Amino acid sequence: MSERAAVTALDNVSFELEQGGFLTLLGPSGCGKSTLLRVVADIIAPAQGEVRVLGQSADAARRQRDIGFVFQDATLLPWRTALDNVRLPLEIGGGVRSGRSPEDLLRLVGLGGWEKSFPHELSGGMRQRVSIARALLGDPKILLMDEPFGALDEITRDRLNDELLHIWRETGTTILFVTHSIHEAAYLGQSVMVLAARPGRVREIVKVDLPEPRTLAMRDTADFAALAGRLRRILETC
Amino acid sequence: MSDDPAQAIWQAAQARLRWKRRLLPLIGALALLLLWWALVAFFQVKPFIAPAPQVVAITLWQKADILFANLIPTAIEALSGFLIGNAVAIAIATLFVHRKTIEMAFFPIVVLINSIPVVAKAPILVLLLGNGLAPKIAIAAVICFFPTLVNMVRGLEAVSPQALELMHVLSASKWEVFRRLRLPTSIPYLFSALKIAASTAVVGAIVGEWIGSQEGIGALIIQATYNFDSALLYATVITGSVFSVGFFLTIRMLERLCVRWVPGQQS
Repeated sequence: MSERAAVTALDNVSFELEQGGFLTLLGPSGCGKSTLLRVVADIIAPAQGEVRVLGQSADAARRQRDIGFVFQDATLLPWRTALDNVRLPLEIGGGVRSGRSPEDLLRLVGLGGWEKSFPHELSGGMRQRVSIARALLGDPKILLMDEPFGALDEITRDRLNDELLHIWRETGTTILFVTHSIHEAAYLGQSVMVLAARPGRVREIVKVDLPEPRTLAMRDTADFAALAGRLRRILETC
Repeated sequence: MSDDPAQAIWQAAQARLRWKRRLLPLIGALALLLLWWALVAFFQVKPFIAPAPQVVAITLWQKADILFANLIPTAIEALSGFLIGNAVAIAIATLFVHRKTIEMAFFPIVVLINSIPVVAKAPILVLLLGNGLAPKIAIAAVICFFPTLVNMVRGLEAVSPQALELMHVLSASKWEVFRRLRLPTSIPYLFSALKIAASTAVVGAIVGEWIGSQEGIGALIIQATYNFDSALLYATVITGSVFSVGFFLTIRMLERLCVRWVPGQQS
């Protein structure tokens, strides 16, 4: 495994994702953010060109379970309990290599004690936590997240942002996170990649120079406001 | 809990409501029986036109053996038809979902045939299949087949695009997508079709017996009508209905055992 993993997608989009890093993808709707994630995950095949993920084809990376995917909706199976939903990857496609147990992962996302609950008994935020635990099963090298908190209220969203940073530090996984919220992109990412629309292309990659670990109070600082302002100006010229 | 007076009042109101829900339908049924009795007595309706309710009750008791003997073939036809028709429908629905070309060619026709009323379809099948037990089973089967096929295809296809993407990310095989996603998704759809099929299977068997049959609920209905034996006719209809309702309730009980999640409330 190389230190850096090269990812090429969307014809002329090419970027590097540091191993163990947290990169957020910010862009207006229709700029191909979700498409980019789906190409990396081998859900969509590129019309032209080639996708290389972790030095191999996207297809091979998917088959080795190198990639975990968190969708906009939790996409839980309603007839399975929280724990059985996290277990799903064990029962499909030859199972997983190793990593934390489903019970461990549920505790990691703060749902210890909710193992036997069905999705309709959980709140939207809790359902999304279950889906994050499911994506982490088998220790994927890259976690792809497609606006996972977009449908949640702001309070829940803030809390889940903090918990995601905690999960990221705890697991050391590499995260590629799509959002259309400037604040979320700046708060979560070590770098923010701004995409421009039609055709989807990389506009600019902005390094985030906020101290680690991030806290919600940081959002009230002048540094954070300056960063958010800079991202907004880039987006306006997209 | 009931320390709170407001809570106690609310609970008492709930208990009264529960009793009302149980008692009122019973009172309604009794009132209608009374009205039936009063109308027959007041207008002195001839027994060959309509029987009084107590005469029907007596007939049910006295001719229980005849009624039961005729229920057996009808029940066998309905149950066999139900099993065969639904099994074939589920198999073809599975084929449709995996072979889109076949589905596109035949599914619209299936939907069209499904919209033809049962009583209109049955005589066509009687002409095609003739007399005996087997044709009645075939009629019940064909009648069950269409609603189940239509619902099952819809159920198997009612999976969200994201759930399919999830399966793809997990490198699921076609069989795994079917077993872990499509089949469980389709179960509530299947049961709503089975509940329809439970009553239409009985209708199919009875309509099949109307034309050229010596035994069965359908044959007894025709016989009683031609003999102007209205009490026997009513008793026969009640026997058939009780079986049909029992069949429906059995399927509904199975549904409650199988579907424990809240369908439709996904994600």
